[in-house]
Amino acid sequence: MAKKPKDYKEDFLHQGFDATETDYNQRGYHLEVVLNVNQVRKFAQTAYDLGFYIVFVAGLHVRPEEGQDKGNSGLEVVYQFARYDQLYRIKGLVSVPNTLEIPSISDIYQGADWHERETRDLYGVVFDGHPNMKPLLLSEEDPDFHPLLKEEAKLKSLDEVSWSTEAPEVKKGKAEAETDR
Amino acid sequence: MLESEYQEHNRFFLNMGPQHPSTHGVLLIVLEMEGEYVLDPQPVLGFIHRMHEKMGESRPCQGFMPNTARMDYVCALPYNHGYVSLIERKAGIEVPKRAEYIRVITSELNRIASHLLWLGAYLLDLGAFTPILYGFDDREHILDILESITGSRLTYCYYRFGGVYQDIDDTFIAATRAFVKRLRKRYSIYEKLVTKNIIFIKRTENIGIVSPDMALRYGMTGPNLRGSGIAYDVRKNEPYSVYPEFDFEIPVGGQGDCLDRYMVRVKEIEQSLRIIEQALDRLPDGPIRAKVPKNIKVTPGDCNFAVEAARGELSYYLVGDGTSTPYRLKVRVPSYSNLSCLPELGRGILLPDLVSILGSFDLVIPEIDR
Repeated sequence: MAKKPKDYKEDFLHQGFDATETDYNQRGYHLEVVLNVNQVRKFAQTAYDLGFYIVFVAGLHVRPEEGQDKGNSGLEVVYQFARYDQLYRIKGLVSVPNTLEIPSISDIYQGADWHERETRDLYGVVFDGHPNMKPLLLSEEDPDFHPLLKEEAKLKSLDEVSWSTEAPEVKKGKAEAETDR
Repeated sequence: MLESEYQEHNRFFLNMGPQHPSTHGVLLIVLEMEGEYVLDPQPVLGFIHRMHEKMGESRPCQGFMPNTARMDYVCALPYNHGYVSLIERKAGIEVPKRAEYIRVITSELNRIASHLLWLGAYLLDLGAFTPILYGFDDREHILDILESITGSRLTYCYYRFGGVYQDIDDTFIAATRAFVKRLRKRYSIYEKLVTKNIIFIKRTENIGIVSPDMALRYGMTGPNLRGSGIAYDVRKNEPYSVYPEFDFEIPVGGQGDCLDRYMVRVKEIEQSLRIIEQALDRLPDGPIRAKVPKNIKVTPGDCNFAVEAARGELSYYLVGDGTSTPYRLKVRVPSYSNLSCLPELGRGILLPDLVSILGSFDLVIPEIDR
């Protein structure tokens, strides 16, 4: 604790990741890394090599971007890693393609095994390369039931649920449009 | 008959649980056995899955408060603490100092209660019946103290956004001081009964060794991690509330066996007592709750808040959308990650050792299943 905390932004930028520093006091994590599907394993390997431990893997369901190509399922997967020796948390965010498949990191971080199975239970994201993609928390009898998928009417776009740098009145207008539901 | 055929022939499956006493709740572990040796233990989860995360995103954020106490019912107040602090961070609410002190005192009392329950239950797993009676005797005092201000004995819902539900009085302070004194006198009993007991040492020493690299790969936290010699405690590493104002140590073990995990928890009880004493001495006057809007709006964007629960790091991860209902609420519970190393840790060991390892992990199943 006495040592000066190290900033790991450069390490991730150096590996070619889209890493942005964030305000810890506001968000509770220091670095946000936006990934594409092919970078997921490299991201986990980089975190492991730097000595991070795995906090969790979780899903998020948002409205798919309109106008974009049809490769977007609207599902996002959030990774969080942190350190034992100093205060530093990183968040990784990856959009799941329409095939609902993203690479598994359970051979790099064995602890991701259960987190990935849980994400499959709750959202239906399939982790490619996972040794045992069976239901974990939910019943094996109904593997296609995913309770955290939202109804169409309740979905919001990723921008609406992200920190924005836009002027506040723009946000206000969006919030009002949602109140009628 | 070839030796390999003989081995194949002698393999069988054993269901440990979901009603097994040493799984402490409804956990099933399917064991592939060969004689008395465990070849592959696979935990089966979800028997008491209630989908707390869905409840979290289907009601205004105040409505989730009672749920926080129903995940880890043995040590509920840190769960309260994490959730209120998360919303306070998101909404930018300043908490009065007195309220934070009360939160720390009650959370630490709850942590001691949890460790005492674990101590008794672990020894019960190992075949010693007496310690749980002593543990419950001491724990009963804590439950009485907490009941007097929170109104409940187990599933507390005492913290509020911006403070706590009600102020503590002189009776509470006197009872807490008396309890601190009482528990210190009881150490020698526990030491004679358990810590220096040769049977206990034989059942725990060099069993279930968790290496630092293994802890990192599985994301282990809490006393289970500190047993392996890594001094990681959210209260020190990521200071929240008023913890930086207190002088306390992080006990660590050596090689990470069951005995180390036991020793870490026993030493933590003393550290929690020290925190309580300092907090009672310096308890500031003032309001116990800040003025907060009745309907707290969760602004767009995500936010994480971690606290140290009795079993390790508890993280709440929230995604807001500008309404009063969270868009997504992920609860990262410590026991989930701690248990996930069992298939690797339990390979090739004796069945009684597996019971010892499970007990030393201090599992709370409703927390794992959520």
